[in-house]
Parts: sequence; C-alpha cells; structure tokens
Amino acid sequence: MLKTTYEADMALYPLPIARWTVAAIAVLFFVVLPLVLHEYYLSIINLVSIACIGALGLNILVGYTGQISVGHGAFMSVGAYTAANFAVRMGAPWPVNLIAGGLMAALVGAIVGIPSLRIKGLYLAIATLAGQLIIEWTINHVTFISGGVQASIEVPRPEIFGFRIASQTEMYFFLLGFVVLAVVGTMNLVRSRIGRAFVAIRDQDIAAEIIGINIFRYKLLAFAISSFYAGITGVLYTYYLGVANYEQFQINVSIDYLAMIIIGGLGSVLGSIFGAIFVTLLPIVIRLSMESFGGYLFSDAAILNIIPNMRLILFGGLIIIFLVAEPEGLNRLWRNIRSYFRVWPFAY
Amino acid sequence: MFDWQFFVLLMSNGILIGLMYSLIALGFVLVYKATDAINFAQGEFVMIAGFVVVAFLFTYHMPLWVSIVAGLVAMVAFGFGLERVVLRKLIGRPIIAVVMATIGLAAVLRGLGPLTWGADTKNLALPISDEPFILGPLFVPPIQILGAAVSLAFLAIFGWFFLKSRKGIAMRAVADSQQVAMAMGINVERYFALAWAMTGVVSALGGVVWGSLLGVDVHLALVGFKVFPVVILGGLDSIPGAILGGLIVGIVENVAAGYIDPYVGGGTKDFAPYVLMIAALMVRPYGIFGKRIIERV
Amino acid sequence: MRRALAILIGLAVVVGAAGYVAANHEIVIGMQCDRTGATQTVGVNLCPGYHDYIKLVNSKGGIEGHKIKAIEIDHEYKVPQGMESYERHKKEGAVLIGIYGTPHTYALMAKLVEDRIPGTSPGFGSAAAADGQRYPYLFPIAATYWSQGAAAVKFAKDQLGGNLKGKKIAYLFYDNPAGREPIDVFEDIAAREGFQLRTFAVPPPGVEMGAQVLDIAQRYRADFLIAHLFGRSPSVSIKELKRVGFPLRKVVSFVWGAAEADIEAAGGWSVAEGYNAMQFAGVGSNYPVLDEIRAMYKKEGQEPPKEMNSTVYYNRGVLQAAIHLEAIRNAVKDKKSGNITGEDVRKGFEKISGFTLGGLVPPLKITPTDHEGGGLVQIFTVKGGKFVKSTEWFSAYNDIVAKHIKESGKK
Repeated sequence: MLKTTYEADMALYPLPIARWTVAAIAVLFFVVLPLVLHEYYLSIINLVSIACIGALGLNILVGYTGQISVGHGAFMSVGAYTAANFAVRMGAPWPVNLIAGGLMAALVGAIVGIPSLRIKGLYLAIATLAGQLIIEWTINHVTFISGGVQASIEVPRPEIFGFRIASQTEMYFFLLGFVVLAVVGTMNLVRSRIGRAFVAIRDQDIAAEIIGINIFRYKLLAFAISSFYAGITGVLYTYYLGVANYEQFQINVSIDYLAMIIIGGLGSVLGSIFGAIFVTLLPIVIRLSMESFGGYLFSDAAILNIIPNMRLILFGGLIIIFLVAEPEGLNRLWRNIRSYFRVWPFAY
Repeated sequence: MFDWQFFVLLMSNGILIGLMYSLIALGFVLVYKATDAINFAQGEFVMIAGFVVVAFLFTYHMPLWVSIVAGLVAMVAFGFGLERVVLRKLIGRPIIAVVMATIGLAAVLRGLGPLTWGADTKNLALPISDEPFILGPLFVPPIQILGAAVSLAFLAIFGWFFLKSRKGIAMRAVADSQQVAMAMGINVERYFALAWAMTGVVSALGGVVWGSLLGVDVHLALVGFKVFPVVILGGLDSIPGAILGGLIVGIVENVAAGYIDPYVGGGTKDFAPYVLMIAALMVRPYGIFGKRIIERV
Repeated sequence: MRRALAILIGLAVVVGAAGYVAANHEIVIGMQCDRTGATQTVGVNLCPGYHDYIKLVNSKGGIEGHKIKAIEIDHEYKVPQGMESYERHKKEGAVLIGIYGTPHTYALMAKLVEDRIPGTSPGFGSAAAADGQRYPYLFPIAATYWSQGAAAVKFAKDQLGGNLKGKKIAYLFYDNPAGREPIDVFEDIAAREGFQLRTFAVPPPGVEMGAQVLDIAQRYRADFLIAHLFGRSPSVSIKELKRVGFPLRKVVSFVWGAAEADIEAAGGWSVAEGYNAMQFAGVGSNYPVLDEIRAMYKKEGQEPPKEMNSTVYYNRGVLQAAIHLEAIRNAVKDKKSGNITGEDVRKGFEKISGFTLGGLVPPLKITPTDHEGGGLVQIFTVKGGKFVKSTEWFSAYNDIVAKHIKESGKK
C-alpha cells in the first residue's frame, strides 16, 4: 500500500476493509440497536459505556505505562463532585462541568502520582490505595465539596440546545458519543509520542531515562491523563444517575476496573472495551442464568441466597482462570480467533 | 492539663491491637518472603480459618482444642492446595498478575464462605473471660493479651527458623534467587509449599484470635485491609518488620483517634497509618526493614 | 486449555441470552436486597420475611383476587448493580420498588420521579424524603434517622431522670452520610435541652473501635451513649464497651444495630444484658401474622424457615411487605381491574393510616406531606436472654425534625 500524503500514512484505518468494518459497527450501534432493543438492554449498554471510558483510562496508566493504581474510584468521585458543584453552585452547563470534572480529577491524579517516582510495584499500589482512602475521607468530611452531611448532590439533566436528555434511550446516544471520543482519543494517544514514551517506561524505565525520556514528567502525565478519563467517567455517571454520591466510587469500584483491564487485556484499547463489557455484564448474566436454570437444582428460597454468592465466586474464579490460562486477556483471545479465521481453512 | 491516664490507655490499646494486626501481617510476610507472591486474600484466609473452627465447634460439636487443630490442618491443606493449583502457574508473571489472582481468590472465598457455612455470625468463645484485667489505670482485655502473646511467640519461632534452622535458610535462599537455589539442589517447589503451609498455620491462629474478638462471619475478612500499612511500613519480607509495623500502625491509629479526631470530625484513624506510610516510603521505599533493591543507572 | 476457555465463554453467553423470564399479568413489585455485601446479615433475614408475607397473602387469594409477584434482585450494596436491578424491575412492569440501601436511595431519586414509580426506604435512606411535597415518589414509611435520633435523645432523657441539663451524651456513629445525618438534629436538641454532645466517628468497616470507646468511657465519661452503627460494628461496639467497663444499659442503638444477630455476634445475650435497641417493627414471635405464616408452612409440610428466628430483621421484612401491599390494596380499590400504575400505588401509600398488623407495624399515618408516617419507634432492652419491650411506640421532638425537613426542602 503506497501512501502519498502524511495524513494518509498516519490514518487510523488505512485499509478500506477496516473502514467498512468501523462504519458497519457505527451503524449497528447508532441505528440498529436502539430500534431493536428494549430500554432495559439499552440501560445495560449505558452502564457498559460508562465503564468503557473508565477502563480505557486505567489501561493507559496500568497497561501502557506499567504503573499500578488502586485509586481509580476516588478520581471518579473527584470528577463527579467537581461537576456537581459547578452545576449546582454556578449553574454551569454540562460541557463546562464535564471538562472541569475531568481537569480536577487530572490534577488530583497527578498529585497522587507523585510518589511514583520513588516507589514501584506493590508499594505504589498501596500508596494509591492511601490516595483513595484520603480522597474519600475528604469528600465525606468537607461539606463544601460534598454539599452537606448526606454527601449527595443532585444535578439537573444535561441539555443540548434545549433538548433534555433523561430517558435511557436519550442517554444511550449521549454516552455512546463519549465512548467514541474516548476510544478514538486513546487510539491516537498510544500511537503518539506520548504513548510511546509510556510504553518505554513500562518496558524498561531505566533505559528510557537514558535515551532522554523524562520519566517523572511522563509518569505524572500518565496519572493525569488516566485520572482525566476517570473524572469524565465520574461526571457521566453522575449525569446518568442524576445524583453524585461518593459511596458509588469506593475501593470495590477501583478493584472492578482493575479486573476489567486484566481480563480484557492490558495495554490494548479493544481489551479495555472487552473487559468493561465482561465485568459489567457478568453479574447480570449469572443472575439470568441462575433464574432460568437454577430452578432445576435448588429450591426457590435457596436460589436467592446462592445467586449473589455464586456471583462472587464466579467473578473471582474467572479472574483466576484468565490469569492462569490467558494472561493477555480477552484481547488475545479475540486476536487468536481473528487470526484463525484470517487463514481459515488453512490453519497451519 | 494532659490526661495521662487516657494516654496510657490509648497506648496500651494501640500496642496490643497492633500486635494483633502483626499476626495477620505475618501470614502475608511469610508468603512474600519465601515465594515473592503477594497475597491480597490474607484476610479471607483468616475468615475461612474462622469458619472452619466454628463449623467444628457448632456443627460437629467438637471440643475447642479439636476445632482449633482442625482449623490448622484445614488451612495447611488449603495452603498446599492453593500453591499447587493456582500459584505455581503464575511464577514469573508480572506482579499485577499475582495481585489480581489473589484478589480473585479473595472474591471466591468471600462467596464460598457464606455459601458453605451460612451468613449468620457465629461466636467463637475462647475460655478466657471478657472482663478486662485491671492493672492500675490500665484496662487490659485478656483476648488482646492472647493475641499479642501469639504474635510474639510467632516472632520468636519464625525468627529462629529463618536464622538458624536448615529449612529456614534454604527458604531464604529460595527467596533470594530461585534459580541459584535450584542449582544448589534445593527443591524449590517443596519450599514454596512449606511457606504456604506456614501461612496456613498463622492464618488459622489469626482466625481463632480475631474470630473471638469480632465474631466469625464473612466480614472477618475485612481485617485483611489492615495488613497493607503494616507490611509496607515494616518491609514486605521482614518478620520483625511485621511486628514493628503492626505496633506503629496500632499506636498511630489510636493516637489519631484520640487526639486528631476531635478536631476534624472523626474518621482519621483509618488513613492516618497510610499517610505515615507514604511519608515513610518517600524516605525508605522498601519499608523500615525491607530488602533494598538497588537500581543503578 | 484455551479452547476450553473459549467454549466456556461461548456457552455462558448463550445461556445468559437464553435466560429470560417473561412476566404475566400479576401485580409486580421490585424488591432490592443485599445478601452478600456489607449488610448481608440484614438482607439474609429481612428478604425472606418479605417474601413470606407475600406468599401468605397470595395463598389467601392475593389482593382483591390479584396475585402479587415480588421480584428480588440482589445488588451486593453496589450502586451500578442497584441501577441495573431498577431497570430490570421497570422492564418487568414493577409498580413499586423496595429500595435497599442509603446510597441506592439517593441514586434512584431522580429516576423514580421521571418514571413515576414510588420507592420505599424503611429505616434508612434520606431523612429529608419524609417531605412528600418535595419528594413525591420516595416513601420512608418508617422512622428516618432524624426521627430515630430525636427518639434516642428522649429515651436517654427518660433514663437519666427526666432532665438532660449539664449531662454528657456521646454519639458513636459509622462514618458515612447515613451515620452523619442525625448530627444536625442532635445539635438542635442539645441547644434546647442543655446537654453536651460529642461525636465519635468509626470509619468503615468498623471492625475496630477501641480508641473511640476508650474515649467515651474513660476520657469524655459520657452519661449516655447513642450508637448508630451498621453491619459488623454494632456487635464489635458491644464487646468493646464491655471491655472498657461502660454499662450497656446506658447505651441505645439505632435500628440497624438492634438485632438478635448483633447480640449473638457480640457474645450472646448474657454479655449484652441491658443493651437498648430501637426498633421500627415489632420484635419477637408473638404476633398473629407470624403465626399465620408458620401455619402456612406447616400446611405445606415444611418447617418454618430458620430466618424467622431472627425476628428483628425478619419482622422488618414482613412490615415492609405489609405496607407495600396495603398501598397496593388502596390502589386496587380505585381500579378494580388491577391494572394499576406506579402513580396509583403512590396515591395508595398516601392513604395509609391505622394499619398495625396486630402490633407488628406502628400506627403509621402516611399523608401527601408526611411520607414517613410519624417517625414512630419502640425501644427493646436485652433482659434475661431476650428482647423485652421497654417503651410503647413513640416519637419525639417532632417540631425540630419538622424544621429540618422543611429546611432541606428549600435547598
């Protein structure tokens, strides 16, 4: 394939077939699904969309830059409360709140990331855990941020040129737009100079320092960008629910997102999406299948007790299975399937 | 006017509860020291141990000492099994893989526990009274003394083990460099299994002591969160570090609760150790007693 | 190994997609529950109580001939799961949602209004939601934390000889929004009654509170302790208080630290002698409706479920179901066809008055302005191995609580 311009060479999807595939997916999500699926399913997709953005952010930090962070949930709550305060105190429109939430989260994320210069590995993970706890405590106790003892701030629904976005279907398009932005943004980021610096830090940070990459600056940037995504996720979640509350963004959320990117595949955009889909849908799928098939094995009352415990067991079990069997996650699985079909039927 | 009596009470509470934290941290440190694996499921181990002991106590109506022995055996077997089935496959993987594996394990145990043994809280009654010893101004609950004693006993035992006994030295060799240890004829896999078995023993006793303090149910696993500031402060692979880290965390928590909380509206005791931890890490990135890995350019 | 994994995933997807329960025309209620998360000790006993009452009513022909279907979804006390369960309930045609959990109440506030489905939050949730004008679709249907706080102070006052002037009251609470909610009300009452108030926060998960308890007992030397703890912390608090020698008869706990499970986890009834627990439902097995449920199980040839022994939580489940069904009954009275909507059920709630189910339910009066029903509680004390009723249904300082409700409504 010969390219004649620089833009053509740098394009995300140089091959025509790739462009067709992307167009088909876009049509599927923007046109077909909303017409075909019931609102309940759209609401599930909404939850997945929000999770995708968060997972992408975390993957930038953990998958591409090799740092460990257990504070993702806290950055989301920073974004959420910043946006909520802007909305309620200053009546700002939602784009302002969104950006403000993201930037504030980025700032806080960069501060939490400062220790990353000195400490690595598990120690860094625990330092970010400390960040999570401290941020939670601050929001809980500083009523200027939390808006009162209840720590819950109601935000009005977003409006685009007077059109109020409230129902699940309307939210669906709203959120999908942001997912697209996030995915395209990430894909471009990782191919850029900054992305390459991140990967260099992950692979061999001392060598990276030697060839002139300012590790400190790029590590902080990784934390900041990742937290920006987290902040946006928090804001979108707030707008989705209509209320900001830090109890939605606690340590279990941070762990869920880590699970997403590990199961999905570290260091890959598609992996983040797969992971987000998987972890968000898992409890729902378990419940549905237990409800349909569990009746054959257990009594009604016992089922209600078993379902939630099964969910935990399967969640943990699947994480372990993935780590043991397929350490590169669903992304690798997908790649394998794709390459299998690419050369099918000549598998060898 | 400084209330000395209160201060003394706080300190004694801090020291004793800190030693109980050390008990849990010891399980973590043992595993890391010998196998480099980070066990995020330490709290859940303690919980399962507690469940097993109360199961023997109440469902099978065994006397207390039989139940405790059963718990020990079960946890040792569990440690062996875990190492064989899961952890062996993860040797050499990046740190985050092992971390996530133990997080996954923690979830599995948290679901399995109530599923197998029921969700209600069971009371692990040890034959020690609930009434506190009164030594002058000090109120000292017997259960805390027991926990502290067990911790210190383990400190002595494991300290001797790693320093003086053949098996202990072999284990340290394995921790230092697996390949060289193998080259010297040490059966690395067997020592891994031994390390997990030792963790099982520590977890079992931790389960008994903490289960008696808190009652045995799924929330017993929450004590696992206390492990982190303790081992980070003390050093991930240092046994005396676990004791010292526990003491520091216990004291800092109580001092924060007693003297800082009233001014900021409460709640600082949970993250005060973490703040201290971060400060310590900036100065000594591997903990007070931890192994220094020096990277030179 | 990898192939097996791929097949597993494929199977799971197929099974998940195939699993689908179609709804037929019964009256559907959506019930949230938590059987595995932080408050599982509650959910595991409360939710069966709920289902048993529904079963009882259905066995007698339902409401005016219409059967009730309660769909329970466990959300592990996590908000995304809570939202998803709400959407699922909506899809199944629920006309009423039994919310479970304070953060979930906040998360669903806006949606309930938009979708016009009423939701209940008995004994938790937002105290401001008692204001039926401001929150038309939220029904606390039981004493909120403000009312509980006021009642606790009144109880303390009675126990300390009728006068609180100059006395020291300690408030031990779980450090989250639900725990902090009553503090403003306490401060107002303290200003009126002239007592000193000090608050002691217990950070989640609340498994260790030695320092706070030491402070209360040895430094602050409180005359009375009001405790507002959840999950494991109430039983831990009982043990710790005993260890520092603080008499349990000087302690009153809010409704979520008040169950048999907490007493047993603390070491048994003899350990907790004197502990006072606030309840918003009747305690014990001595109620006609419970006898009916037991008879129902006997008729099926089964033993009554063991959750019935945990009467505090089980009875609360029954109470919740009973009030739900009462609202539905009121709605069906106006629409005999049984095709009721959330709006009808909401109006049905606002007509509830004088429904006591043999004493299990306090004499609530829910009106369009008061969705709480009067903020009534009862205090039970641990005496001789069981809970003994210490007071009748009462509420206190209604004017102060009302003032706070009105103020928060202005925000």
